Amino acid sequence: MTDAAPLLEVTDLATHFHTRNGVVKAVDGVSFSLKRGEVMGLVGESGSGKSITGFSIIGLIDPPGRVEHGSIKLEGRELVGLPVQDLRAIRGKTISMVFQDPLMTLNPVLTIGAQILLALEAHEKVSAEEGRRRAIAALAQVRIPEPDAKVDFYPHQFSGGMRQRVAIAIALLHRPKLIICDEPTTALDVSIQAEILAEMKELVAELGTALIWISHDLATVASIASKVCVMRYGKIVEAGPVLDVLTKPQHPYTQGLLDSLPSRAEPGQLLARGAGVSDAAPPPRKTAVERHEPKPGVPYFTMELVSKRFQEQPSPLRALLQKLGVAKPPHGVQAVDSVSLTVTRGEALGLVGESGSGKSTLGRMAAGIYAPNAGTVLLDGERVMSAGERPHKTTTRVQTIFQDPFASLNPRMRVSDSIAEGPVTHGIVTKAESAEYVRQWLAAVGLDPAFAERYPHQFSGGQRQRVAIARALAMQPDVVVCDEPVASLDVSIQAQIINLLIRLRSELDLTLIFISHDLSVVRHLCDRVAIMYRGRIVEEGPAGEIYDHPQHDYTKRLLAAVPVLPTA
Amino acid sequence: MDRASPFARFGREFAESRTALVALIVVLLMIGLALAAPLVAPQDPYDLANLPLMDARRPPGYVGSGGYTHWLGTDAQGRDLLSAILYGLRISLQMGLVAGAIALTLGAALGITAAYLGGRWEAFIMRVVDLQLAFPAILLALVISAMLGQGKLQLIAALAAAQYAYFARTAHGAASAERGKDYVEAAFSTPLPASRVVWRHILPNCLPPLIVVATVQVASAIALEATLSFLGVGLPVTEPSLGMLISNGFQYMLSGRYWISIYPGIALIILIVAINLVGDQIRDQVNPRLKR
Repeated sequence: MTDAAPLLEVTDLATHFHTRNGVVKAVDGVSFSLKRGEVMGLVGESGSGKSITGFSIIGLIDPPGRVEHGSIKLEGRELVGLPVQDLRAIRGKTISMVFQDPLMTLNPVLTIGAQILLALEAHEKVSAEEGRRRAIAALAQVRIPEPDAKVDFYPHQFSGGMRQRVAIAIALLHRPKLIICDEPTTALDVSIQAEILAEMKELVAELGTALIWISHDLATVASIASKVCVMRYGKIVEAGPVLDVLTKPQHPYTQGLLDSLPSRAEPGQLLARGAGVSDAAPPPRKTAVERHEPKPGVPYFTMELVSKRFQEQPSPLRALLQKLGVAKPPHGVQAVDSVSLTVTRGEALGLVGESGSGKSTLGRMAAGIYAPNAGTVLLDGERVMSAGERPHKTTTRVQTIFQDPFASLNPRMRVSDSIAEGPVTHGIVTKAESAEYVRQWLAAVGLDPAFAERYPHQFSGGQRQRVAIARALAMQPDVVVCDEPVASLDVSIQAQIINLLIRLRSELDLTLIFISHDLSVVRHLCDRVAIMYRGRIVEEGPAGEIYDHPQHDYTKRLLAAVPVLPTA
Repeated sequence: MDRASPFARFGREFAESRTALVALIVVLLMIGLALAAPLVAPQDPYDLANLPLMDARRPPGYVGSGGYTHWLGTDAQGRDLLSAILYGLRISLQMGLVAGAIALTLGAALGITAAYLGGRWEAFIMRVVDLQLAFPAILLALVISAMLGQGKLQLIAALAAAQYAYFARTAHGAASAERGKDYVEAAFSTPLPASRVVWRHILPNCLPPLIVVATVQVASAIALEATLSFLGVGLPVTEPSLGMLISNGFQYMLSGRYWISIYPGIALIILIVAINLVGDQIRDQVNPRLKR
């Protein structure tokens, strides 16, 4: 076979799911081809069919799903309709797959070495010693330090990035001709993602393996792939070399996706030509504005040397044993360590950090959800939480928007009740006025007021986040703590929610504390940025300054790790 | 997009299981028959003047002096067994439902309180519950009803005391899980008063597992009551439940008059199995891991 012949040729592939509510055309006539050693990105938002395309190629479509028609040819051999045992011989050997969450795909009760041995035995006969030797070599290949010790570790002893490396090592075991990676870095921090991207790129070049990189993130695809297919509603809307597609997009959908990225817009501008912003104004504040006139000499919102340690309370017996020196105190985590922070009125402060940096804990202390072990949180010189044995929140002026709109709304309450509950309890509106008040807020966040009587499960993720925003703002707060409010949303929905936040912030004169792992979103929304690392703030300053002239090593590393889109 | 309320969806899914639907119909039918016993039963088994001794211990199908057929035969006092069963069902169901409801209320209150308070109180309440769960329910019920003496209220107290621990444990587990969820944190950060968070947010989301336990526990309360009545420590003779009917006929089992014990026993089994089948289906539907 010559080099010019494609390794993989997918023609008019259609995979449908026959559900109780009708046929879902997850993949609907997809065609592309892949040469040997070529790296292709498959980009799309959730529900676009990008993952199902990957699963169809490797033959992992389970009922009620079915490959309806079309052909998948690997080196000229048709894979559609191949018997299960033949497919099994190909799977893992010629084509292998890396999934999003390695914690789900690695067996928690087997050592890494045992799992690699199993993967080897699936396709060849190997002795135990030979298997171990090759497992160590495989781990070394994916740059896992001390592979001869790590081979006896269990998955839980690895970090997320290391687990994903193990998954990649297993995928590479049999020198496959094609690897399909389904969102392999989505669950990882940016710095780990950067490492994996770089290593994957090297490995693929070294082994001559073709790669299909499935992702929702245009920037990661741009940094690894040479060509890209953009999918929507089960169809490829645009395909071509990465540089062409990303700098001169032809299809309006691709253009829209690119316009939705905060990294491509001027900070503070509405994204995607102001998509998702309604004209309805939020209802006027009932509480007199004069009441909250700034007090001279008192900083607006401050956190003074706050610390939070998560530690289990020792039982009385254990406490006694601890005193006698027999037992150790329970394991604890110092999430936030003596952090001081001041936010001025009307400012938007971005709190950036990777997972485990303590940014969410700090945000929850600012919002009065967690009581700090030490230090105080003050708004206009008044405590946000009461002191004492059972601290509780004492102000309604700080409200919170959470990350996951699926978890932050009570599933058994109509959204009208969720929104009206707080304002009615605190006398912002009367029970009689509440229905109209809820309708005004739904309109203000761009939802149909007629949706008031629905339950959360009847909304999409983006709509739910709008409800959550309405619920927080209906309390007429002065400070809003946003904990990753756009992290679990698709790019285009993310742009709409960012637009909504920009607009509501200026209309309501809000002070924002915006927590995010996404540096581009923070730059877009925030005036000032604080970088968190291991429970401390390592650097703080005006957004532009930090992004252009980072001082701390960690900030520099973080900024360097962010994948960058090619610009025209 | 699904416009139906969660309850309507639940009902639709429930109806998809043929077995569960039949079981539900059986349960409702038995409740209906028990409620309507004075109207549908051929004879009033409490009216001693109406019990001709010459009709005693007659086999099923016997046409008695009252001029109607005893389809399930008669017992040692000449009672029509079908009527006795219908009235017995009334008492058995009443005991099971009332005791179950009391145990549910008490257990859920304790479990959710423990989960909400945390710390020492949680440890104390849950250790008491654990301690009680270490003993078989029948033993506890026996001891308590022996202490309290015979009577409807005493027996209900004994059943509820033996069963609240199951509810407490379920409620505690569910409430602890719900407490850590974002929507509860959102409620606290509004801030809403603690009582409102517990009543409007935590409690409704703890209900599904509690309902599952409740169905199973009502069935087991009925069985427990039958056992106690069979052993003679349950209800007084003036309140003949299914257990007592079985017990009354037990001495005639070996003399060939099987029907006096067997038919009340069958009624009891059908009732308990049907309630359990309904409970199983609810459990399957509530458990997200079993969702198709």
